[in-house]
Formats: sequence, C-alpha cells, structure tokens
Amino acid sequence: MGQIILGVGDFGASNIPEDTIKTFALGSCVSVIFLDPKTRCVGMAHIALPDSTINKAKAAEKPGYFADTAIPALLAQMAELGCDKRGKGIIVKLCGGANVMDTNDTFQIGKRNALSIKKILWSYGMGAIAEDLGGNYSRTVSISVAAGQVILSSPGKPNWQL
Amino acid sequence: MVHKINPAELQKTVSSVPMISASASRLLQITSQPDHEVMDVVNLVKTDANLTARVLKVVNSAAYGLVNQISSVDRAVSYLGQQVIVSIAIESCAGELFAKELSGYEAVGGDLWKHDLRAAIAAREVVIQSGADLSPDLAFTAGLLHDIGKALISDYLRGSAPEAVALINSHDSLDYLAAEEHLVGVDHTIAGEALAKAWQLPPELTAVIRHHHQPSQAEEAWRPLVYAVHLGDSIAMMGGFGTGSDSMRYKLDPHYADFIQINANILANVMLVVDTEFNKLSEGLSDTGEKS
Repeated sequence: MGQIILGVGDFGASNIPEDTIKTFALGSCVSVIFLDPKTRCVGMAHIALPDSTINKAKAAEKPGYFADTAIPALLAQMAELGCDKRGKGIIVKLCGGANVMDTNDTFQIGKRNALSIKKILWSYGMGAIAEDLGGNYSRTVSISVAAGQVILSSPGKPNWQL
Repeated sequence: MVHKINPAELQKTVSSVPMISASASRLLQITSQPDHEVMDVVNLVKTDANLTARVLKVVNSAAYGLVNQISSVDRAVSYLGQQVIVSIAIESCAGELFAKELSGYEAVGGDLWKHDLRAAIAAREVVIQSGADLSPDLAFTAGLLHDIGKALISDYLRGSAPEAVALINSHDSLDYLAAEEHLVGVDHTIAGEALAKAWQLPPELTAVIRHHHQPSQAEEAWRPLVYAVHLGDSIAMMGGFGTGSDSMRYKLDPHYADFIQINANILANVMLVVDTEFNKLSEGLSDTGEKS
C-alpha cells in the first residue's frame, strides 16, 4: 500500500484503494492510464519509444519501454487482477508526448509515441476518453486508485486534472 | 521578487563560485586536444591523490561489478574511459554547484547534474551514431558543462517560473532563454560564459556553454561541437531529465543537419543508450557517495 513510482519504461497496476501510481517528468514519453470501473483496478505505463523493432532485447527485458509491447504487458498485468484481457470496459487516458519548440519531423518522438499508442489501442477496440498530449513542457502524473483521479503537474504551472 | 542582474552582480556571483581544481582544469585542457593520448590522462590522475582515490572507488564500486579489484590508475582509466574520469573530476571539484537546488526553475537539488550527465551521454552518442567528424569524448565533456550558468542565475529567478511560463505561452517566438533575459537581464548562457572564462576553460567548451541554444552563432570552428551538444541537451529534456520549468521550452535549430546526420531510428537508438549508460554511470558515482 502506498505510492507506486514508475520510471521510464516501467508499468504497473493496482486494485488497492490506498495506492497511488505516479510517474515523474514525462518529456516526449507518454503515460498510458487504464481504469477499470468493474474491478476498481488502475494501471499505468511510462512509454519512451513508439516501436520495439529497433531493439528486441530491450523490449524483452523492459516491455513497458515501447508502445507496441507496453500495452499488451499492462493489459496482461491487469488481467491478473481480474480485468478483461482484451481491455473490454477499460477507460483510457493519455498524457505526455511533449516536443521541444520548433521541432522537426525527426525529433517529434512525442507525436510518434502518441500515434503508435493510439494505433495499438485501436487494434484492441480501445480509445482514449481524455488526453493531454503535446506542447512544450514536461508533465508529472499521478492517479489514486480509490478516486481514479488523474492529476498532472508541471513546474511553473498550477496542477490540473485529466 | 526578481530584478535585473547588473554586470557587477554577475561578476560577484561568478567570483563566489569556487575555482575548479588545477587537475580538473588540466584534464579539460588535455581532453579537448584532438591528439591527446590515454596516458596523458593517466599521468594527470596520478598527480592528484584525491582524484586517484575517487577513480579507484568508482571502478571498484558495485555498479561495475568487477570480480577482482583494480588498484592501478592505468587499468582504472582504461576500464572506465576518459568520460567517466572527466565526470569524476568535475563532480569532485564542482559538485556543490551541480548539486545546487535550482529554485528559480522549481527544480530540486541534483536535477542539474542529472540533466548535464544525460546531455553529455546523449551528445557523445549523437556523435558516435551519426558518424560525425567530432571527438565523442569532447562532446561528452562539453555536454557535462553546458548548463553551468543556470546554477548562477537560479537564485535571481526565484519565484519567477510561473511568469516565465506565462510569458512564453503568450508569445510564440519566445523561448526560456528569452524569458530569462526578460526577467533578470542575463540568460544562463551568458552567465555560464562568464564562469567559463573565470575557470579558464578551453575556447570550444566556452563556445558550447555560450551558444548551445543558438548554435549558428558559434564561431565556425566550434559549430559542429555546439550542434552536437544542442541535440544532446534536447534529448536529455525529451527523456524526462530537464531542470524544471524550462524543460522542453527551447527551440530546436534544424540546421544541425548541416553537420550531423541523424534520423528517427538513430535518435531512438541514442535515447536507448542514454538510459542504459546514465543508470550505470550515476550508480557508479553514487556508490562512492557522490551525487548522482
């Protein structure tokens, strides 16, 4: 019980009401948040890159690192907590995916991460009901299992809810 | 309440920062020379008992997982590589500066060091993986030092982060550098250049500190290096290691492509290596009681 901190490429899920899942300073990384109203289970992945084909060994070691391996891994973990293994009924929220200012195509990793994640979610018939993506700032995100409230923060800005 | 930093104040702030040690200064000079040899670094480390002790501590730390302890400087330097030696030397003599809480940017103590270490590794990897005609070692050192100016102006910026952010949000053309200049009259690259001069850093490192956000303004000879650090800095921020309120709020100069050939795949690979190397290096340094 307590705070579950996710680093880059980590994912985690909990159905303990007292838990909070948190990840710090998303730059171009994207946080995928799953909430299952039926089981009161919450999950999150901190995804760094869109596609695992560039390094299969890394994907095997840390599936949460890539969009295409993180989402199945997170669904599998949530299935262990009683959620539907194909994500049926799960609410999705996305945040992060920032870019530096005046970025070009090559450096738009944030945008590519978000697109890749959406594509994979669609393959499961899932889609985000809320998103806070893009922009030129980093985001810290936390979600409490009991309330299912997603709170975002960024230095120099008041906190906001997604 | 922020106020404009006048030249005398800037100079006073620079003077209040301890000088880097003679051996660190010499190490930066040596490793900036394209034709230097590993033995030059080994010999220099041997002249400094404190640095020798730290280098041996790091190489024998759990992070490197050696079965047999290394007790010779020669072996330690060749095992760790020059970049780690430079990190140890800088951290040993200027650790307080890098560990400083950047309250003006709403960043905690240690964030500057982590950002600089990530930018250093990223700049090196950009050079290696793009095949740019540059020394990866030099790109690393330059990356490590590029943001020293933030530690100097942070206190003056205290409480200004919301204003800086609002200013950037309301003006499309402004980045955080312009916001710093607007708020306190001096941006972190100008403050950093003043410290680089006081430390008598080699001209290429001074150029990186001064121009890493506007690489096209650097002297032509140093421009490829400045662009490498410009990209390394962006990659560090994209990976979630900025220094607070300014993170991601700088412009990418697309003219890097004149000097550095990098595509989306290379960039993704660089980001992967940065994660792995950063964890190893910061673990090695923190095992010895250093900041990570």
